[in-house]
Amino acid sequence: MTHLGTLALYLASVLAVYAIVTSLWGVRTRRTAWIASGTQAAYAVGGCVVVASIVLLHALLTRDFNVEYVASYSSSTLPLHYTVAAFWGGQKGSLLFWTLIHCFFTAIVLFQNRTRNQELMPYVTATLMTIALFFLGLLCFITPPFERLSFIPDEGSDLNPLLQNYWMTIHPPALYLGFISASVPFAFALAALATGKLGDVWIRTTRRWALTSWFFLSLGNLLGGRWAYEVLGWGGYWAWDPVENAAIMPWFTATAYLHSVMIQEKKDMLKVWNMTLVILTFVLTIFGTFLTRSGVISSVHSFTQSGLGPYFLTFLAFILVVSIGLLLYRLPDLKSENEFDSLLSREAAFLFNNLILVGLAFATFWGTIFPILSEWVRGVKITVGPPFFNQVNGPLGVMLLFLTGVGPIIAWRRASWSSLRRQFTIPLVVGLALGSLLFVLGYRNYYAVVIFSLAGFVLAGILAEFSRGTRARQVMLHESPPQALGRLVGKNPRRYGGYIVHVGVVLIFFGVAGALFTIEKQITVSTEQSFEVGRYTLLYTGITERDDAHIAAQVATVRVLVDGQQIDTMHPEKRFYKKQNQPTTEVDIRPTLVEDLYLVLGSYDEPSGLATFQVFINPLVSWIWIGGLILILGTCVIMAPNPAERQALALARASADIRGQAVAE
Amino acid sequence: MAAKQSKFLIGALLIVGAVGYLIYTSIQETKVYYFTIDEFLLNQETLANTDVRVAGRVQDGSIQWDPAALTLTFRLMPIEPGTIPVGALPPGVAVSYQGILPDMFAEGRDVIVEGLYTPDQQLVASTIMTSCPSKYEPEIEKRLQAS
Repeated sequence: MTHLGTLALYLASVLAVYAIVTSLWGVRTRRTAWIASGTQAAYAVGGCVVVASIVLLHALLTRDFNVEYVASYSSSTLPLHYTVAAFWGGQKGSLLFWTLIHCFFTAIVLFQNRTRNQELMPYVTATLMTIALFFLGLLCFITPPFERLSFIPDEGSDLNPLLQNYWMTIHPPALYLGFISASVPFAFALAALATGKLGDVWIRTTRRWALTSWFFLSLGNLLGGRWAYEVLGWGGYWAWDPVENAAIMPWFTATAYLHSVMIQEKKDMLKVWNMTLVILTFVLTIFGTFLTRSGVISSVHSFTQSGLGPYFLTFLAFILVVSIGLLLYRLPDLKSENEFDSLLSREAAFLFNNLILVGLAFATFWGTIFPILSEWVRGVKITVGPPFFNQVNGPLGVMLLFLTGVGPIIAWRRASWSSLRRQFTIPLVVGLALGSLLFVLGYRNYYAVVIFSLAGFVLAGILAEFSRGTRARQVMLHESPPQALGRLVGKNPRRYGGYIVHVGVVLIFFGVAGALFTIEKQITVSTEQSFEVGRYTLLYTGITERDDAHIAAQVATVRVLVDGQQIDTMHPEKRFYKKQNQPTTEVDIRPTLVEDLYLVLGSYDEPSGLATFQVFINPLVSWIWIGGLILILGTCVIMAPNPAERQALALARASADIRGQAVAE
Repeated sequence: MAAKQSKFLIGALLIVGAVGYLIYTSIQETKVYYFTIDEFLLNQETLANTDVRVAGRVQDGSIQWDPAALTLTFRLMPIEPGTIPVGALPPGVAVSYQGILPDMFAEGRDVIVEGLYTPDQQLVASTIMTSCPSKYEPEIEKRLQAS
């Protein structure tokens, strides 16, 4: 069976080469038959990868421990859903999974554009197949997933316990979807550069892909944070670990692109900048994969150190040379005659928001690779940890939050004083009132006061937008309030969906700012002893043991009391995963909208009966997840079918055609 | 026209400058030197009162752990014995730590200790990371190597 998988991967590689060659050759010789053949081959690559994936999944599910990958990442007692998750739990499988999704996206793109964008498509196919070929090459020659052992182990060594968590089964796929879909706008950008069709057709065609990529990057990061929070047991959700940084960097640049692209659509400006952001986002996704897999930087997420680093670096260099080369070649055609009108305009807000987002990406990048840089330059390895990232990205984030409030309500081109007064009075009053209130209440953490005030400022601005639009419809079209609101959003989902996303982002900021008030306590107690943390009294009543084939666990029982009244019972655990011979900590979290009570059983000393607990009170953490849900909702609204957008795309295509004909004549 | 565009340039430069300034000062304030234990031992005279991150191995029999007070002391040793001539350097460094033990912490494990190196030659750890290189390396491979 596994031979079939290996064969499929080899065949896929050959077909990918064929697709690249025929697509490009077809353009050169203007023979559509070649191009069509290349497209068919690209679909066939996908078919082969599907076969290989089924083979690996089959091997995992039938527990074929003779296959090295199956023996390394699963065991006979591993539950079914984690056995499926083991597909992407190890290096080799995750590369195959990556290729699978990439081929799936490629097929969607080819199908969507089977009759459209015919000039661009050969280059798109060639680019996407080149990326596929890189991963297929790794799978065929460097990390073959179907390698067999010389013997048949009676048992596999199991999936890493840290990965045996439901968030972990969906967090990597979400992130992969985000990473991989970034290659579609990239492929179209390269195609636009290669063909010289630099109008906004490629941008409008890939808008949804860019949004999809951004959506899954957001989701992947949120789920990753959630996983860290529940599984790693250190009380937080984000540690600026190199791999977390790898996941957030493309998010920064993708967010920047989603904003700056509006300026290109409106004013035909920033073409080079947008092109750069699309390329940069894709490059950062590959760089992120490189960071995770090369072992150049130590991280909790690292896969086994493998020899993959050089291949990724070579591929990165190749991408950069091709993209920058094409960009420089077309630079004269990307100039714009338009200029910005005024600093008090939405363009300016977007421009500065872009600079800050790219600044965030750069600072994160710099801090991540600083150990390598300092070793090169000075011969000493200097690392920077979470304090660095918090110190740099914190203030930049606050500036960004401010612009989040300004951007949506300031006028395009040039804001007049009267429009500024009209738009900004309510938000400013709300923000300042909130700030003063917090100050009067005795909050002296100025960082937090500023963030909370800005959050009020942004939210008030957005709510005012919604209410103004709704009221206008009520008055002019005599609609009922819910009807007016629904139609307002439905008529312009991109704008109002964007506002909803902003609400989500503000709530995430709000939740993150709660970390400024975290309380932590470590304590060792004996049975029936109680201790105080914040407003809670925790009473430890004992340990029970639990033992099955897979896990042995010590489960503590802790009663939670407030003002002498018991409100809950919590059960943090210490687990021992037998196959992997590894102890892990299973935290218990009691979430509320105000604060999470986060309880860790640090250790349990059997002879003395002493248990050590680590307790965190994490204010406002729930708002991060709520904000995440609202962000998802907002993105769904933006993605809703949009007649205006379709019209704009048709118009862009038509005008591009007319221009093309004019040139031809 | 030019004046208008230069306003944008100034705004952009201000932001770029702010990013650069934040990065520069924050690195100065938060930098931590990363050493292998061998490098650390060779340079330890110059390192008093600095924040360091040292990778080494927990010496067998050196762990003293008081679960009630949550205090831990142990010695951090070179990972490969023999890279430094015996007697040429003090044998490892004493580490003290207060807090919960990381899950994977044990004798003979490879760890990364981050903390302040005090003038009395103690490494006062703020974090201990158990970065056993074989952590994600499946058991099978070890068995293969053994056979």
